[in-house]
Amino acid sequence: MRKQPMEAAVEQPRQGDWDLKELMERLGGDQEFLRELLVMFREDVRMNLEKSRKAMAERDYEGLSRTAHTMKGMLGNLSMGAAAETAAALEKTSRENQQDDSKELLEKLVKELDGILPEVEAQLAEVKS
Amino acid sequence: MRILIAEDDAISRTLLQRTLQRAGYEVIAVENGAKAIAELVKHDAPRLALLDWIMPGKDGVEVCREVRRRKEQAYTYLILLSSRESKEDIVRGLESGADDYLTKPFDVDELKARLRTGHRILELEDHLVEARESMRFQATHDLLTSLWNRGVIVELMSHEIMRSRRERSCTAVMMCDIDHFKSVNDQYGHAVGDEVLREVARRLHNSVRSYDMVGRYGGEEFLVALNKCNPGSAVSRAENLREKIAGRPIQTTDKPVSVTISIGLALSTEFTECTVEEIMHQADMALYAAKAAGRNCVRVAQPSGDSKPVEEQSKETQVLAP
Repeated sequence: MRKQPMEAAVEQPRQGDWDLKELMERLGGDQEFLRELLVMFREDVRMNLEKSRKAMAERDYEGLSRTAHTMKGMLGNLSMGAAAETAAALEKTSRENQQDDSKELLEKLVKELDGILPEVEAQLAEVKS
Repeated sequence: MRILIAEDDAISRTLLQRTLQRAGYEVIAVENGAKAIAELVKHDAPRLALLDWIMPGKDGVEVCREVRRRKEQAYTYLILLSSRESKEDIVRGLESGADDYLTKPFDVDELKARLRTGHRILELEDHLVEARESMRFQATHDLLTSLWNRGVIVELMSHEIMRSRRERSCTAVMMCDIDHFKSVNDQYGHAVGDEVLREVARRLHNSVRSYDMVGRYGGEEFLVALNKCNPGSAVSRAENLREKIAGRPIQTTDKPVSVTISIGLALSTEFTECTVEEIMHQADMALYAAKAAGRNCVRVAQPSGDSKPVEEQSKETQVLAP
């Protein structure tokens, strides 16, 4: 059941479900600003995933829920809809101490972000040149 | 327009900040609720705020409550940012004192439209405050001279007399009346008469200390209360007021008009057993005595009932002076 998103992603024109067009509208077409945000994103996502894994290992579900909430906002604002939804689900399950579901959702989130990060890198390379 | 953003996620904060800057706002961005409160209760705080609902420490709802509780000055328009959409959450947010809420991720056009609503509310608030202040002024001041009106000057003077009794100091009450004012109106018309009233009011007001009080008591009658007045110098200060009016003609748009005033003076220390009304009556009687003595002079109310001319009174007050 949790394998679904990867298949769904194949049907979409963009890998990893990232609506770059919507994001650029939000940024008023500012390429330099996009770059700035993506650099922040690269850092923050790594940090937040690390925090999540640590919280999971320590069974700190409250901490996990908080980190998921932060990621939800960040991903939503960057128009990474599917990942934002997964983060929202993770926020909910961890708040309710649902260990198994939370574990699965975190794995799903990691996969989704793995799908998006190469695109982010590509975008950064493009803006740079 | 200045706006505060409180958002703990750096990316969301930066995004909001840049978006609002591009829309022409001056942005103050903070990353938690405590800092948001500190900014919003400052004297010249921004009047618009976008508050993330969930933040470490104090969350957006707590910020709303705290700002509403602590701030008495100008209204602050508060918008909560939330990914929560359940009805109970929205109700809870609005009941905490938020004016509006926005769901994340925000849509730029919607955000701008909601902020315009905020502007409208703040403008409305400013107009109301302005109208209230103007009405407050009109309710307490005389329209023509901008001095305290009769009700207020009597009330303020009553408080002052009560206080001077507690503190064993003296309040000097002066009834001042423009001599032959009717003939000014008859001779030059009411417009010039009004100019004379305004100028007499201005000179009286400018001749007393900032903590003394001057009000328009009636048509051409003014009430002056000198607080913490040395009884020995009350007469010379009344003389000074009289001289300020008689000393030089009043320049009106028509021609210079010379007027004088008569003053009845009563010292609260001379009437310790009297009510405020009785003291005012005493000052009134002294004013009649001044009119009877030929006008353009000061008469002092005596506890015995006779109003003495200034020369005699001066000797007496010198004796009384410390």
